[in-house]
Amino acid sequence: MRRFDLIVIGTGLAGLTAARTAIGMGAKVLIVGRGMGALALFGNTVDLLGEIPPATEMAEGIARWIAAHPEHPYARTGWEGIEGSIAAFRELFPLPYPFVAPSRGNTLLPTGAGTMRPTWLAPVTMAAGAAMTPSETLIVGLRGFKDFQGDTVSLHLQCRGVTLSLPRYGLEGLTAPAIARLMDETSFREGLGESIRQQMAGERFIGLPAVLGLRNPAAVLKTLEAITGARIFEIPMLPPSIPGTRIFHRFREELIAKGATFRMGHPVSGVTVKEGRCQKISIPNPPLVADHRADRFILATGRFLGGGLWAEMDRIVEPVFDLPVFQPGERGRWFGGRFFDPEAHPIHRSGIVTDTDLRPVDAAGRVVIANVWAAGSILAHHQAIEEKSREGIDIATGFLAAKRALAS
Amino acid sequence: MTKEEKSAPLTKLPDVCVRCATCMAACPVSRVTPRFPGPKQAGPGAQRFRLAAEASVDDWIDLCSGCRLCDTVCPAGVPISEMNLMAKAKYMDERGRTFRDWLLVRSDRFGEMAARYSKIVNPLLKKKAVRWLLDVLLRIDRRRTLPAYEYPTFRRWFRTRQAPKGSGPEVAYFYGCFTNTNETDVGKAAVEILEAYGLKVIVPPQHCCGIPRLGVGDLHGAREMGQRNVDSLLRTVRGLDILFSSTSCGLMLRHEYGPLLHLPGAEELSGRLFDISEYLLRLHEEGKTAATFQPLPMKAAYFAPCHLRALDIGLPALELLRMVPGLEVSMIEAECCGLGGLYGFKREKFSIAEEIGKDLKEAVARLKPDIILTDCEGCRMQIRHLTGLRVLHPVQLLRDALERRGKPDPKAC
Repeated sequence: MRRFDLIVIGTGLAGLTAARTAIGMGAKVLIVGRGMGALALFGNTVDLLGEIPPATEMAEGIARWIAAHPEHPYARTGWEGIEGSIAAFRELFPLPYPFVAPSRGNTLLPTGAGTMRPTWLAPVTMAAGAAMTPSETLIVGLRGFKDFQGDTVSLHLQCRGVTLSLPRYGLEGLTAPAIARLMDETSFREGLGESIRQQMAGERFIGLPAVLGLRNPAAVLKTLEAITGARIFEIPMLPPSIPGTRIFHRFREELIAKGATFRMGHPVSGVTVKEGRCQKISIPNPPLVADHRADRFILATGRFLGGGLWAEMDRIVEPVFDLPVFQPGERGRWFGGRFFDPEAHPIHRSGIVTDTDLRPVDAAGRVVIANVWAAGSILAHHQAIEEKSREGIDIATGFLAAKRALAS
Repeated sequence: MTKEEKSAPLTKLPDVCVRCATCMAACPVSRVTPRFPGPKQAGPGAQRFRLAAEASVDDWIDLCSGCRLCDTVCPAGVPISEMNLMAKAKYMDERGRTFRDWLLVRSDRFGEMAARYSKIVNPLLKKKAVRWLLDVLLRIDRRRTLPAYEYPTFRRWFRTRQAPKGSGPEVAYFYGCFTNTNETDVGKAAVEILEAYGLKVIVPPQHCCGIPRLGVGDLHGAREMGQRNVDSLLRTVRGLDILFSSTSCGLMLRHEYGPLLHLPGAEELSGRLFDISEYLLRLHEEGKTAATFQPLPMKAAYFAPCHLRALDIGLPALELLRMVPGLEVSMIEAECCGLGGLYGFKREKFSIAEEIGKDLKEAVARLKPDIILTDCEGCRMQIRHLTGLRVLHPVQLLRDALERRGKPDPKAC
């Protein structure tokens, strides 16, 4: 049986950040996930707190937010914690594919629904979307590609839109990963660039679905900008997310290169806790079950979609350690009246409550398992969807949890 | 009991799928062709409409290469590849299999014979006329290099060699058909390295693991092959650990005999089976070996086969390779080599296999390695075909790098 300094449970952005932080501190790390985490779902930009109006400086906005929300995960990390962890994240993405903050506050970027959405960091392939104006922008859809409806986007953004055939026959019905992969081919993207150029009517900005290459998005951007003479930007769309897949691949590459052990495809089925400390976790790969021991554990399994939280008939439970969960009240009140209620559905307030070091605590504030830390969206008292704070919480708490865990 | 265990029967149902499309980010086949709708659609999507009593309409189901990468990324625990496999089996049972498929899955039977007459067979397999005939009559693509046969076979080599003296703890070795007749040095390296680690190796009677039969959806045939192995392995190696050097054979023996094929005795066998690198790494971690490596200053690239990922044991070979001083090892950042076992030999699938392989080829070109290492024979064949580089099983390089008392090893590469 193998022994690790740290086992991270969860392969989303929080888990990956925790694992990378720990590896950077010289720890022997195992990271396990029942799947590849949520990055392929909605990993596109890095939101810190979309709620803050764009004119407000982020540092200032977050400081005020923390003062007003003393139980929010950001209250654990502070602005300094967010800043440091985001800086570390950005180091993982050097030129030519950096994540950039187009302004000192939130930036509005176009989405695949044709809305403008606030965010903090965007990959360089999306950055030009911040500067677009409707009259100077052309939205390009791809014929036969169902996950991005260029017409809808251009209609809502009040831009001109065109739908182009891919520059090679027999490709209709291709998925986002397939198109992104073809974009990595020079001749393919040159062909697309050429057909865009022929459709242009003096536009200075061109929006495309976020499929501009899996391996080399910066080169795709460069080619398209050179041919069209316009600034190109990717627009986030339905899953699977290509920008999120890029983030996942970059983390995985880095973690494996630095010696982390990766296990993916099976859930944690059991834990052994003795005298208030977790000793090992069990992972089944039928018909076998493997045990893994570690000195510390970080739980970053996300919420309902990732399987970190589980709704029973009358309460929300945490399935791995059976940690105490902050409950959203009685079942009849879990959901608001409308799906897109501006107020978060109460169920989204549930989660794991922690001490200032991100160790889960019970209702009385006592640490439950001395060597377990929690990070990411599984934490209670945030409303990542409405606040638009998902990636910020993942990165800042993943970073902090690893630091605190290894300091113990 | 966890929530997962409580809901175990549910995971067999397609409704567990939330349509998140994460599997679409992983599927190597739908990434290169629109002809295969991808794991989300082919697996749980179509599963909702499949009825046992109705004829199968999944004309594309045969395009799933059985890599199992979808299973490794699904956040909901949907057994996607199993759904595909079951659908493929039903489709093929209804339509019938070709003579080509009948023949290819029996390569273990004629392999011994071909190896014995390898001096005649190998040149024949290279003849343009023969390849043309195989292509036209059997639709085995003529552009695919067919593996050469070697004689003496691994089995024969093992039986006739002078076994080293000394008695360590015993382990059994499952070599797999390809090692036996086409890549005997992998078997030799496995035996030699295990002996260098102080173990005594026995080679129990064994047959093809049966995974090629799964590739053509022949569950009945796979079960037959599997049962023969379970019975003979359990009978002969009682109490011993069994090590495999082929990750595909290993996946089949360890995880498909029981959960998929429900073979009696499979579970007992499963607990005994280990990937050879997994086992060696454990010996290091438990301080049970004094084996060390001599410097091997070269640039190597390691590729993690899909079935190794499905085994979900991390990358033990990579960790072992990092113990060799001077050896610079990088990971090949590609998802799948594309061969898919027999898949890439078939004319109608050759171009898909080539297209998937292109990503790997480019990843290798960026690394410019002296040598490539990977645990699966299919990947080795495909990577040789794609790159023309020297491609070995990690144990072959580790064997060559072993610190031996006395004179340096002339075989060191």
